[in-house]
Order: sequence, then C-alpha cells, then structure tokens
Amino acid sequence: MADHITSKLNQDTHLILDQPLIRLPFELLRKNFKVAHFTVEKEGSAVKTAVRETANASLTASSSPDEVLKNVDSMLARMKGLKRKLAACQEEETRLQQQSVSRIRHLAQLYEMQSLDDVKYEEWSRTRLDRLLVDYLLRHGYKESASALSKEKGIEDLVDVETFVQMSKIRESLRNQRVNEALAWCAENKKELRKMESKLEFMLRFQQYIELVRTQEQSKLLESIAHAKKYLLPFKDLYPKEVQQACGLLAFPPGTRAEAYSEIYSPHRWTILANLFMQTHNTLLALPPVPLLHIALSAGLSALKTPSCHSSHLSSSISPTSSSCITTSVCPICSTELNDLARNVPYANHTKSHVESDLVMLPNRRVYATQRLEEYSRKAGLADGMIKDLRTGEVFKMENTKKVYIS
Amino acid sequence: MDALYIELAKLRKDATLTQSMADVDKIIEQLERAKECIVQDPNSASITLTKLQNPIKSGFDKVTEDLTKVDRGLKAYGKALNKNFPVKALPTEYDALASHPNLINRAIAMHMLREGQFSVASTFLSEAQEYPPQPEPTVGTPNPSEEDDGDLTSLKSRELQERFSNMYQILHELKARNLHPAIEWARMNSEELEKRGSNLEFELSKLQYVWLFLGPEVNGLPDDIHNGYMGALQYARDHFGRFQGRHLLDIRKLSAALIYRSNLRDSPYYRTFDTLTAWDDVSASFTREFCSLLGLSAESPLYIAATAGAIALPTLLKLASIVKEKRTEWTTQNELPVEIALPSSMIFHAIFVCPVSKEQTTDTNPPMMMPCGHVVAKESLQKLSKGSRFKCPYCPNESQPKDAREIIL
Ligand SMILES: [Zn+2]
Ligand SMILES: [Zn+2]
Repeated sequence: MADHITSKLNQDTHLILDQPLIRLPFELLRKNFKVAHFTVEKEGSAVKTAVRETANASLTASSSPDEVLKNVDSMLARMKGLKRKLAACQEEETRLQQQSVSRIRHLAQLYEMQSLDDVKYEEWSRTRLDRLLVDYLLRHGYKESASALSKEKGIEDLVDVETFVQMSKIRESLRNQRVNEALAWCAENKKELRKMESKLEFMLRFQQYIELVRTQEQSKLLESIAHAKKYLLPFKDLYPKEVQQACGLLAFPPGTRAEAYSEIYSPHRWTILANLFMQTHNTLLALPPVPLLHIALSAGLSALKTPSCHSSHLSSSISPTSSSCITTSVCPICSTELNDLARNVPYANHTKSHVESDLVMLPNRRVYATQRLEEYSRKAGLADGMIKDLRTGEVFKMENTKKVYIS
Repeated sequence: MDALYIELAKLRKDATLTQSMADVDKIIEQLERAKECIVQDPNSASITLTKLQNPIKSGFDKVTEDLTKVDRGLKAYGKALNKNFPVKALPTEYDALASHPNLINRAIAMHMLREGQFSVASTFLSEAQEYPPQPEPTVGTPNPSEEDDGDLTSLKSRELQERFSNMYQILHELKARNLHPAIEWARMNSEELEKRGSNLEFELSKLQYVWLFLGPEVNGLPDDIHNGYMGALQYARDHFGRFQGRHLLDIRKLSAALIYRSNLRDSPYYRTFDTLTAWDDVSASFTREFCSLLGLSAESPLYIAATAGAIALPTLLKLASIVKEKRTEWTTQNELPVEIALPSSMIFHAIFVCPVSKEQTTDTNPPMMMPCGHVVAKESLQKLSKGSRFKCPYCPNESQPKDAREIIL
C-alpha cells in the first residue's frame, strides 16, 4: 500500500508548471533592454551626425549662426525624446525586476515546506491554482475576470495581465479582419521573428493581397500586383506553395469553384492567422502554447481517475475513504465539475489493491470493512447483530455477511 | 532559489538603465551649454560646434558602455536562471482538453461559486457567454464538444450561487459560535442526511448542549436560565427526544455529565466537553454534507485535480520522453502506463487489482469472489476455470465458476 501513497515534496521537479512565472519577466526585461539599446543607437548616430554636419557647414560658412542654433535646438529635442523613451524603459525595468523579486520569493516559499501534508502547501497550491486560472482566463481574452480574480486574491505581481491583454488586442483585431496591429507588432519584433524563422509576417502580407484581389476593382488589382512583388515574391524560395497560390489567385475571382482557390477566400483564414499570431507571440516570450491549466488538469484528472468514476453502479463512487469519518466526500472526478471532462482521459495505474482491512460482503454483494459497518450500525441505533448498508441503507443480519479476502 | 535571488539583487543594483539616463542628461547639458555660448556670441558658433563633436561622441560612448553593463548583467542573470531553474519541456503536443473549453469553463464557474467568489464568478459568466470559447478538435480523442455546447448557460449558476451563499452564511455563523442556522439546515435535510448515514444534526445539537453547559464564562451568552447547565438541561429536554432512537447512549452520557459538572476536568466526560476542535470539526462536517447533498465533492475538484496534476507531472514527463521514442501517446490509452503516488487525502475509491492478471477491475471485468472468499477479476476467473471446476490460486479450495459472485467494492 505504501508505494502509491506519498507525501514527499521534491521542489525541483514540482515547479514544472511555474517556469513561465520566472521566465516571462526575464524575457520582457531582455525585450525592454533591446528597445532601449535600439533607441540609443538610432538617436545617438543621428545626433552625432547632426553635430558633425552642423560644425562642417558652419566652418565652411555655408550656414549662419541662426541656422546653427536651429540645428542645436533640434538636436536637443531629439535628446529629450531619447530621455523620455529611456525613462519609460527604466520604469518598465523597475516594474519587471520588482515582479521577479515577488515571484522568486513566492517560489522560495515552497522550499520552506517539508512535505505535501504541510498546511502551508495547501495555501501555496491554492495560489498556484489561482495563477493557472488567471493564465487560462487571459488566454481566452477574459480580461475582466482575470483582473478581478487576481485583485481579489492579491496576486497581481504573480500574473501577467498586461502581456496577455496586449496579445488579445492584436488577436482580436485579426479576428475582426484587420492586419495593421499585427503588422506593427511584427515590425517591433523584426529581429527576433527573423531569428526564429517566423512565417507570420509573410502570412499577414498574403492576407492583405487576398483582400485586395477580393475587391476585383481595377485599381486594387493593380495595387495587389505591386504588393505581391514587394512582399510575397521575395519569399518564393522559402514559401513556394503560397507564392504559387498567390500568383494563380488573379485568375480565380471570389466565388470560384476551384476548391484550392475558394479556400483562400474563406473567412476561416482569419482564425488561422489569429492562432498563428498567438503561437508566435507565445513562442517569442517562452510561454507554453496551451493554457497551463490544461497541462495541470489532464495530468491530474488521470492521476485521480479510477474505473469507478464512470461506473454504471449506482453510488459506488461514494466509498468511505478515511476511517475518522463515517460519511464520505464525493470523489472530485465523480463530482459534477469534472466528471464529463475526465471521460476521455486514461485512468490511473495501480499495481496493488487499495482496500480497507477486514472486509465483509453483505447479501446485496456490497463490500465494507467490518469495523466501519459496526460503528455505523451502532450509531444508527440498530440492535446487536444487525448491520446497515452504508450506501443503500438496507439492514441485514451480521451472520449473513461473508468474509472477503483480498490479497 | 537563493542563488537566483542573489543574482537578481546584483542585477537590480548594478545593471539598470539609471546610469545611462544620467549620461544622456550630461549630453543634454553639453548641448544646452553650447547653445548658450552661441546665443551670447553668435561668432563662436563654428568653434563651439567643432569643440562639441568629441564630447558628444564620448558622451554616447559612455551611454553605450552603460548599456553593455546592463546587457552583461542580464546575461549573467539568464545564466543563473538556466542553472538554477533549467528549462523543462512541458507536455503540450497533445492537449486532450482543448476540445472541451465549455466543460472547463463550467468547472471554473462552479469552482468560483463554491469558493464564494460570487462577483468574480458573475464577471466570468458574462464574459464567457459574450465570447464563447472555440473548441479545438484534438486528434485521437472522441469529441463530445457538440454535446458540451451551451453547457455554461445550462449551468444553473444563480441557483448554485444561492446555495453556496447560503452555505457561507451558515459557516460564517458557525465561526461566530452560532449553531442555530446550521441546526435548522440539518433538520430541514434530516431525511437525506440520514440516508447518507450522517449524524450531523445530532452532532450539532450535541455541541449546542455542551456549549450551553459550559456557561457564560466560556460561551459569552447572557447569564440567565437559558444558559449554563440549567439551560443545557432545558435544551436537552426540548430537542434530544427526536434522537433517542439512534443516539440513546450518547444522550445518556451527556446528561450524566450534569452530575460531574463541578469537577468536569477529572470526569470520564471531559473529552465530550472539550470544544477545542469541536467547532472546526462541525464546520468541516457541515461543508462535507452540504456539498454531498448537491452531489459535489467537499473540496473543490479543480483544486484537487490541479494539485494532483502538479504532483503527477514529473513522473508523466519522464514517461513521455520514453513513449516518444515508441511513438505512442499515453493520453489516448485506457490506463496510464505508470503508477503515480499521491497523498492519501487524494485517494477516494477502493481499488482492486486482480492478483492474477495485475489489472484493475472495471464494469466489464468486475471483481469476483470465490466461495473461499478470495477475489480475482472476472476475466482471470474465466481463464483459470475454462468453464469447469478449478482450484483457487490462493488456497486449496476448489469450486465451479458459477459459484463465484460479483462483488461491489
Ligand atoms: Zn471517482
Ligand atoms: Zn481461495
């Protein structure tokens, strides 16, 4: 019986689900730094060039002191702009570092616990569930619920509302058939996207092309050709299939019966684009592609599920578990919340029986521990030698029970 | 975690954008000074600008240097992160739950309601109805998502909310040491409770008796004839009659305690009158019975399942790396290929593993007891007997297959 029961807590492996908690602020810190770095480089070289050119122009007397002053003013304006941008980055930096501190502290709490039975573990694990729920809600775009939950639980530092709200906005715009927000996002992350060989921008451009062709207006068709030349053709080696499709599309107006082309005009492509964007976004930030709650639940459902959970035997699911209380709690997989959801996951593997000792079978074939039966029957005020079925309430003579041996 | 924490502290101290901000300020100052010079003496324009080139350049060199420090700091922190918190791949290739977003939403709504987060729950329910989730069909899973449709609307959330808010009210009163609402609830549901074999109503009444018995010094109730042992006696006379059939022994004990009241501490009834854990105990029993009558588990199933998931994941991941090579998916099979150890509080059913086939019994392959009392799975029995008289594998007893009886554990 010992090997399938444990209260051992191995922190290092226990924190599998918590990787994004620590990784995301780090990824965002890096992104933030790149923005700062890029801005400094850009403004720096502009200002340095401006100083040099102004000096030269002034030396060769081709510009007046007034013009020099005007140039210095515009350099100052640039520098102040740079300072504002850096200040914004610095603010974000402080926020992310503070967030990392809170998160590491939260994880460190787990290392102070001895075992899974530690009362503090329950509290910690409840917070984890709240974090998983917020992650799930945000990925579905349920922003209000996510904010309300994290506020009520005081876990704002442990969840990533802002990141996912930005993501949802762009995803929503794609679902509403707009590419501009997503294209702007691609521009912001150009380097990284190229590094990971992302197809997103190409697909967005392709969609723009499709929309131009869809109109079948002369001017738009001309525009579509220019668009294809600029944004699609350069990728003919990388994405030959799509480029070929694009080239052929002009010959097949919307409503075409050619299946390969009618599909291209389908509004479903927007859903695919929205999903592709979400995937790309999550990969870029080292976020798992599916909600963490799914990962936790599918493992948990299987670990808890037994063949009895979907058994046809009436109420056989309510089996006494602890000897300290006579009545029982409903098993979580048998409970309404999860029962249907657990139907398609495998049940837990057991290599040994797990039953109470000293079992007897009642004439109705139901099996109970003798001690529990006796206690229950005594409390029920039954006469000596009589016992009552814990689930059905039927009353039998003790002498009509039969001992059951389970090895 | 400590090592990571130290690395983060270093980052916060030495590798921030603060220094580069200060150095940008210096460049601005220089530009402003140059501007002033030119304003005062327009003829100095070209010499000022020429002189300005080097300081501006070195100013930016300084800013770049500052940024390099931040970059180095971030890299060091990233390294510490990889060392102390190495990346472990999550099993995301096969998401068996993606095809049931409506069922998950329902489970979440019910979780919020049972946790008493009524306002979050109502925000969630309206958001989820406004933006219904899109099921993503999962390969290899029977897909009941068509049946799931509209589950959230069919979830009688208002009714459920009323029930749980009632539960929280009663628990709240129990916390304030007021048993009456709980007793009233138990009395209203006494028939159902009795069917479950629950003694909740009597346990609550018993505590009320004890609570009165302990008197105003302990219970803080008004010091009158309704309190103290006289009050308890009156309470017993008024209310214990209905329990006589089932709890006569207990009632005798409770009234006998009256005799010992001056010296309860040394009496055999001391334990009955120790209310140290009694209040927590009745609150727990009350919650359990309340949820059970709704057909629900006493603890949030979502909480138990997510916790069990976190406990199970390391084992499953180890397994996943093995089955990946074999190209089979554990999520599509009937039984997990590996045993997962859970805390005993997470075991809810009796489990019978046939000692012959080593398989768990199911509805189609139930446990069968032979006349000698030994139990094997039905399929094992058929294999052992081949339809005729056979010997029990665990004792010398011989029997016919038809003598074996299916048992319900
Ligand atoms: Zn169950
Ligand atoms: Zn035998």
